[in-house]
Amino acid sequence: MIDASSIHLNRRTLLGLGLTAAAAPALSACGGASTTGADTGSGAVSFLSTQFTPIEERQRFEAILKDRVPDVPVAYNPVEAGVFASTLTSQVDAKKVQVSLAGGVHGDLAPYANRFEDLDDVMGALGDRGFPDEIATLAKLGGGSTKYIPWMQASYVLAVNKKALQWLPPGADVQRLTYDQFLDWMTRARQGNGGRPVLGLPCGPKGLYHRFFQGYLLPSFTGAQVTGFRGPEAATAWQYMKDLWANTATASTNYDYMQEPLQRGEVLVAWDHVARLVGAPKDKPDEWVMAPAPRGPKGLGYMLIIAGIAIPRGAPEEARAKEVLTALTAVQTQLDVLRQNAFFPVVTAALPPDLPPAIKLEADAVARQQGASDAVVALPPIGVGSRDGEVSQVFKNTFKEICLDNRPVQPTLDTQARQLNSILDELKVPCWRPDPVEAGQTCRVR
Amino acid sequence: MTATVRGRRRRRVVLLQATCALVTLFMALPIYLIALAALSSRESLNRFPLPLLPTDVSTETFRAFLSATGVIGGFQNSVEVGVITLLLSLAVGVPAGYAVARYAFRGRDPYQLFLLLTRALPIVVLSVPLASVFLTTDLYDTTYAVALLHTALALPTTVLITSAVFVAVPVEHEEAAVVFGATPLRAFLRVVLPQALPGIAAAAIFTFVTSWNEVLGAAILTLNRRTLPAQVLLTLPDSPLAYRFAGGFALVLPALVFIAIMRRYLLNMWSTTIR
Repeated sequence: MIDASSIHLNRRTLLGLGLTAAAAPALSACGGASTTGADTGSGAVSFLSTQFTPIEERQRFEAILKDRVPDVPVAYNPVEAGVFASTLTSQVDAKKVQVSLAGGVHGDLAPYANRFEDLDDVMGALGDRGFPDEIATLAKLGGGSTKYIPWMQASYVLAVNKKALQWLPPGADVQRLTYDQFLDWMTRARQGNGGRPVLGLPCGPKGLYHRFFQGYLLPSFTGAQVTGFRGPEAATAWQYMKDLWANTATASTNYDYMQEPLQRGEVLVAWDHVARLVGAPKDKPDEWVMAPAPRGPKGLGYMLIIAGIAIPRGAPEEARAKEVLTALTAVQTQLDVLRQNAFFPVVTAALPPDLPPAIKLEADAVARQQGASDAVVALPPIGVGSRDGEVSQVFKNTFKEICLDNRPVQPTLDTQARQLNSILDELKVPCWRPDPVEAGQTCRVR
Repeated sequence: MTATVRGRRRRRVVLLQATCALVTLFMALPIYLIALAALSSRESLNRFPLPLLPTDVSTETFRAFLSATGVIGGFQNSVEVGVITLLLSLAVGVPAGYAVARYAFRGRDPYQLFLLLTRALPIVVLSVPLASVFLTTDLYDTTYAVALLHTALALPTTVLITSAVFVAVPVEHEEAAVVFGATPLRAFLRVVLPQALPGIAAAAIFTFVTSWNEVLGAAILTLNRRTLPAQVLLTLPDSPLAYRFAGGFALVLPALVFIAIMRRYLLNMWSTTIR
C-alpha cells in the first residue's frame, strides 16, 4: 500500500541520494580540480601570464606549448594584470613561490625587477637567436642584468575595408599616408557615407587608445612623447586630434577591440593593436587592406610592444622553466605564435610565405611601418612600474577634455602637464624613446 | 449591481495577470536573450538587426566554451566551494542568529553593526596579506581556502537573515515544548527549526549565490584550482562576443538550478509565517 507521505519521503530520499552522489566526487577531490590543463604535481611548470587571456588564443597557445615543449608539462594560466601583480608579490614575499614562469608585456614585468632571477646565463645561451639590441636592453629593466627573456612583439596598424578606398583623396597612397591626407580622407568618407563617420578608434574602457597618443600622434607631430607634451607642436597635434574626432564614429567610446565593429561593418577604417585587428580580415581577406599608421611633420611615429617571460625568485622548477624559455624562443615556435595568435617574433626569422592571409596583411603592414625611412620608434612608458596606468590616464584625460568636453587646447595641456610632472617627479626615471634617453636625468615635460 | 461587481473583479483579475506577466517578462527576458545569443552562430551575432527568435540555432560556441581548458574543472570547484561555504556558514551562522534573536546581551546592537564591517573592507586592499596568510598555512590554491574566505564574506548576511527569522518564531512555542518535557536542544530542533526553515533556505540561497559570483578573492587565493567565475569571468571581457554570451549563460544556469531546488522551502515561508 502506498500512501502520499511515503511517496513524498521517497522522493525526498531520492533527491538527497542524488545530490550526495553528485557532490561526492567533487568533495573527495582533494582541494579541488585542476583548471590549467597540466597536472600540477611536481615537475609541472606553472606559467602565469597576462597574455592570451581570450579563450581561443589561450587554447591555441596551449596547443603550441604541447607541441613544441613535449617533455615539460606547462600549466598555462592567463590572468588579469591586477591578479598577476598580487600573485607575484604575495608568493615571492612569502617565500613560497609556486609560479615558475611569469609572462607579460614590458610594462607588466617592469615593477618586479627585484623579484625576478637574473637570466644572463639563459640570454647568453640563446646568443644564436639574434634578439635586436634594443629589445635585449629593454629586457634588463633598467638594471645591469637580464631580467626577462623576450617572448614576442607587436605593434599597431590601420585596418581598412576596401569600400573606404573610394573616398581616398587624389594623389594619396593608403600605404604612405600623411596625417593631413588621413584627415582629408576621413572627412570625404564621412560626407560620402551620408554623414556617418567610417573611422573607429578603440576608446572603450579596455581600449588601447592612449597608445595612439603616446606612440603615434605625439611622436609624429612633436618627435617626443613626454618632453614636448605641452609645446606648440603638441597643441597642433591635439587640434588635429579634435578635427579627426569630429570625423570619428562617436560609438568609439564603447569599442575595446576594433575587429568586432569592423567585422560588423559599423566602421570601415580603424587603428588598433595587431592582435585586436586580426579577426577583421580573417573571413574575407580580399576585402581588406592593412596599412602603416600615417606620418606627421616629424616622421612616422609608431609604438613597439615587447612581451617577455621572467622567472620569479625562488621558482620551484627553475631548470625546467629555462627549458621552456629555450623552446619558446626557437624560430619555429615563434612563427607558430605568429600564425596562430598574431604576435610577431622577437628573433631573427624570415617570415614564411605560407602565412594565413590575415596575418600576411598585418605582417606586411608592420614591416612597412618599421622599415619606413622616417620611422620614429616609441616605447610604452618605461620604468614607471605600477604607475603606468596613471601616466596613461593623463593622456586619456587630455583626450577626454579636448575632444569630448571641447575644452581649449593649450590650457588643458598645461594642466595635464602639471599632473604628468607630479607623477614623474616622484618616479625620477630617465625618459624613454622617442624622448632623448639620458641616464640619471629625470624625465619631465618641458 | 452584481454585474458591476463582477466586472470590477474581472478587471482586477486581468490587471493582476498583466502585472504578473510583466514581472515575469522583466525577469525572463534577459535570460531568454542571453540564452538566444549563447546558442546562436557567430555570424548571426554580427547581423543587424539581431533576430529576436531562434532562427539560427548553433551549439558550436557553447560547446567550444565548455571544452575550453579548466571550464569543467572550474565548475566542479565552484560547486565544491559553494557547498562547503553553505555548510560552514550555516553551521556557524544559524546558532549566532539564534543567539542574537533570543538573548539580550550587552553590546548586541553594536555587535550586529560590527558584523557588517567585513563587507565594508574591499578585498583588493587585503589581497596580498590574505594570499600570504594562506600561502604560509599551505592552504593556498585549494578550494578550502576559497570556501573559508567565502564563509567569512557570507556570514554577516547569514547571521542577520536567520536572526530575523528566529525573532518571528514565537518564544511561547519553544516554552510550551519545554513544559511538555523537551530538552532545550530538542525544543530547538523539533519546534523552532522547522518553523525557521524557509528563512534558513533564503539565507542558504544568498550564501550559495554570493559564493558562486565571487571572483576577486577566488582569483587571488588560487592558481591552478580556480572556481568557474575566477577561471572565465576575468578573461571574458577580452574574448569575442560569442564567448561572452556563452560564458554568461553558463554562469547563470547553475545558480538558477540551485534557486529552483531551494524554491519550495521559500514558498513554505508564506504558509508558516503568514498563518
